[in-house]
Amino acid sequence: MLEINIKKTLPGFQLDIDLSVNREIISMLGPSGSGKTMTLLSIAGLLKPDQGIICLNGCTLFSSQDNIFLPPQKRKIGFVFQNYALFPHMTVADNIAYGMQGKPKEQIKKRVDDLLEIIHIPALKNRYPFELSSGQQQRVALARAIAPEPEALLLDEPFSALDTFRKERLEFELLTLQQYYLGDILFVTHDLTQGFKLGTRLAIYDNGRIVQCDNREEVISSPVNRTAARLTGVKNLFDGIVTGSDNHSAIIYIPEFGTSLKTTDYSAAKLYVDQMVVLGIRPEHIEIFEEPTENTIPCREGHQVVGVTNIHYYYYAERDNNKRYHLESCRPRPLLPPCFEAGKPCYLYFPPERIITLVN
Amino acid sequence: MLETFLSPLYVSLKTVLTATVITFFLGLAAARWMSGYTGKLKSIIDGIFLLPLVLPPTVVGFGLLLLFGKNGPFGKILELLGTTIIFSWPATVIAAVIVSFPLMYMSARGGFEQVDINIENAARTLGAGEWRIFWTVTLPLSWPSIMAATVLAFARALGEFGATLMLAGNIPGKTTTIPVAIYFKIQAGHMGEAFLLTLIVLAFAFVSLALLAYWKNKANNKGEGITLAGN
Repeated sequence: MLEINIKKTLPGFQLDIDLSVNREIISMLGPSGSGKTMTLLSIAGLLKPDQGIICLNGCTLFSSQDNIFLPPQKRKIGFVFQNYALFPHMTVADNIAYGMQGKPKEQIKKRVDDLLEIIHIPALKNRYPFELSSGQQQRVALARAIAPEPEALLLDEPFSALDTFRKERLEFELLTLQQYYLGDILFVTHDLTQGFKLGTRLAIYDNGRIVQCDNREEVISSPVNRTAARLTGVKNLFDGIVTGSDNHSAIIYIPEFGTSLKTTDYSAAKLYVDQMVVLGIRPEHIEIFEEPTENTIPCREGHQVVGVTNIHYYYYAERDNNKRYHLESCRPRPLLPPCFEAGKPCYLYFPPERIITLVN
Repeated sequence: MLETFLSPLYVSLKTVLTATVITFFLGLAAARWMSGYTGKLKSIIDGIFLLPLVLPPTVVGFGLLLLFGKNGPFGKILELLGTTIIFSWPATVIAAVIVSFPLMYMSARGGFEQVDINIENAARTLGAGEWRIFWTVTLPLSWPSIMAATVLAFARALGEFGATLMLAGNIPGKTTTIPVAIYFKIQAGHMGEAFLLTLIVLAFAFVSLALLAYWKNKANNKGEGITLAGN
């Protein structure tokens, strides 16, 4: 159980974090410079917060009130750096053994051998880091961090330097690692897909704060604000005004399109008439109709971007003021490219249960 | 004849080896201390450490005379102990240490600061104390820089003339180092002997430069393994 409640002020930036981790993997997601790495450094004792408290399994690591600042050496926290930071002049075995000084030689040797087995590179025991591939270096960094059996493990964008294939294998291995490692894991990433795959909970960072920290499903289905929505892939966001609401649904007028949409989002019942809201929908939830029905917006087809597995379609709605409002939808790529002509009229259907309403 | 250059060679080697050992440890200690020091006086202390590098050796010699002379603070302490070092062999060592120290300090500090802070931080999170990190991580990783620094310090100590002459004088067999001997041989018109001593200095210079190139090359290639590993 790791509990963090800290503040730190730097010129032009303020970190204000409140987070607790309970034997789980939390993925920390957010734009660059939003304070994710600073949080990890503070937990590890490599950065001193101005005020607050950090506790790990009942042990106070930092407390501004009681003037406690445990040095990183005494915190029992494993850290995997973005650039791995392996000791280049030591062999793989020596790297892994470094954190176990003071234990009986036999025990260290056994632990190193066990860990090499777990990370699938027992044959590379006596190699130097520069003789390894980046994926192997990453595994050594991970093994080195967990060798002294830390109570929490912090990973700072550990897979960012790897190619897609190695990344996916290592993601899988990190998940299987949980069988061997039972502590708290904090994982920094800026890749939503990766964060979702690995984390049981997602912590969404924005400008030095955690704006949302919830079960991953919850964060995806109900982001709390624009930043959280953007970061979790809600590409279509519009301002709207509530014009009607009952216990199950609400009608929201969107000035940009001059249209009203119905939503049955769980928060719809809490909305009141004339309330300003932000309305969002994921690209993959928009459906395309040829005829207008309820909850459609008249649009024109714009352009398409063909990806390996998906096609992104871009639409625009033109209003009297000659401004164009853009919308994006996304579908798995069909075998034959669909007919998509710039300027062709169509109707975008917003399923009421898929619309996300944000009140702040 | 043989005696005339074996003697300066012997004095010089004794002086330079002693001075290099002292400078090595003093320079490393100062570099390590200053790498971690964040106080207000940082740039002032740094300046004092580097001062002998930019001052004329005669000024350094004069300063040392003031410190170690009869009325100087160190001189008075030595007098109480019943000794003096002016015009004695230890004076050659002191002069050589003072002029070679900045080179050792500067290069060692540069070497320490080149070590990736994340690597040292990784060692910290693995429970290693600051001394263990210094001995097992910082020092080995900056070793090429330190060896280059030692060669530089050695060469500078060997070439020391001005401060040595002022503080230690010219006592054959005791304080007459090679550079001092060359000066007085030429003054006395013994060009042949001066030439032979010059050849000895040249030989040392070439060996030093070769060693320097070797360690510099090693220092620059230190990161090579890491970048190559991406492939």
